[in-house]
Amino acid sequence: MSGLEVRGLSGGYAAGHDVLRDVDFTAAPGEIVGILGPNGGGKTTLFRALLDELPVRRGELSLPGRPAYVPQTDQARLDFPVSAHDVALMGAFGRTPWFRRIARADREAADAALERVGLADRADTTFGALSGGQRQRVLIARALVQDAPLLLLDEPLSGVDGASAARIEAVFGELRAEGRTLLVATHDVRQAGEWDRVLCVHGRQIDFGPPAAVLSPETLRETYGDELIVLEGGGRAVGIGHHAHGH
Amino acid sequence: MPELAPYLQRAVLEIALLAVPAGLLGSWIVLRRLAFFTHAVGTVSFPALVLAGAWGIAPQLAALAAALGFGVAQERIGRGGRLAADAATGLILVGALALGVVLASDVFESGAQVDTLLFGSLIGLTDRDLWLTALVAVVVVVLDASLRRHWLAGGFEPGSSRALGLRPVLADRLLLMGIGAAAIVALDAVGALLVTVVLVVPAATVRLITDRLGALQAGATGVALAEGLAAVWLADALNVGAGPALAVIGGAVFAAVAAATAARARAVPA
Repeated sequence: MSGLEVRGLSGGYAAGHDVLRDVDFTAAPGEIVGILGPNGGGKTTLFRALLDELPVRRGELSLPGRPAYVPQTDQARLDFPVSAHDVALMGAFGRTPWFRRIARADREAADAALERVGLADRADTTFGALSGGQRQRVLIARALVQDAPLLLLDEPLSGVDGASAARIEAVFGELRAEGRTLLVATHDVRQAGEWDRVLCVHGRQIDFGPPAAVLSPETLRETYGDELIVLEGGGRAVGIGHHAHGH
Repeated sequence: MPELAPYLQRAVLEIALLAVPAGLLGSWIVLRRLAFFTHAVGTVSFPALVLAGAWGIAPQLAALAAALGFGVAQERIGRGGRLAADAATGLILVGALALGVVLASDVFESGAQVDTLLFGSLIGLTDRDLWLTALVAVVVVVLDASLRRHWLAGGFEPGSSRALGLRPVLADRLLLMGIGAAAIVALDAVGALLVTVVLVVPAATVRLITDRLGALQAGATGVALAEGLAAVWLADALNVGAGPALAVIGGAVFAAVAAATAARARAVPA
């Protein structure tokens, strides 16, 4: 698998109004990149650009293939008549011609993906009847079925229960071992510090590099502006009182 | 068993054909929250139907032109950004009804035809009406078979559709066009104001009792057929319009199912 290369990326939703500018970074296969930034700072815009869905975009992108996108769970309709298995199976829709039934291999892939996120026993449960953490795991299972070399995850650990968070982080480790590249938007500085690279954005790229080099109080202050930064002994940034999360 | 009168045979055939879009598209209308759009497509056709009657042109052609005009007007108003889409639809609806009434009462003096245009009639169905409904039923089957995955994924969580390798914009446009076509062929039976009685109410009723798409579509088709046949019988027996009869039956069935599911929910707390 090849990696991700982003050079001089700028863009937004209307001409002359860049939401994000001067983004420049690379991510190798098997790397997890944490993306830190305030709400409205450009994290989702970066994902839209990588998904080729940003109306205005400049710069160069080199992607290892079509990325899989894992949205926040509140983007999904809870009243839709779909089971966890139905949602996981959506990951195979794009490769199935309209005139063909979903292949048996893809059905098995959906079963395996749910098993991997610890929800094999909830496969027939309606999506809306699952807990928040379980819903997030189902959306990750959908991305697993896509079998993409690059995964874009929008705050997958925000507001999830401890058991779900542990399972999700274990899956991240497996995907990393498989050589897939993960871009994970998060507000959790401590968590981002455990990954391979950190990208800080606030309308533009503030910094990018190994966590030890990037996660300084100065960089975090520049990233989050006036929002509260909680510091712990030695000036190390360990968390930001910015966005509620459940662990 | 006595043979049905020819006009009743046509009415039964029309209802059976309409049950197909009612079940397949009706489910998507309910799931994708397009009931207001569906109602609007029917209502905006009212002034066009008045004109079609006065000028002797095919009503379906006039309704198609009205539906296309509605789509363009809604998009223009919505794109302006000053008005929400549902507010724009509401304004267009009121305008269409007012225009239709003025045309019917003051310009062409259509008189009693207005009732038929607004509430439908299964008595005067022609071969062309039946063939058009059959054509739309076939098109709806093809659309549903080919685009149901796009509609499912896009309706469940629209933000990921393209990332999943789907084509949400094209699929959604074809869904709206399919709904427009189904609304137009339903006009003969239920009129401009009651299109939703066929295309929304059966699916909304079945949605109360199922959490699975396949069951929803099959159930809505069956309910649309059963309610339609009951309405034909009631309209013929009481000499009332089929549209209003279907509205009463559909509303009563929906209310009964809603009451039953609510009572069951109270009896079995989650």
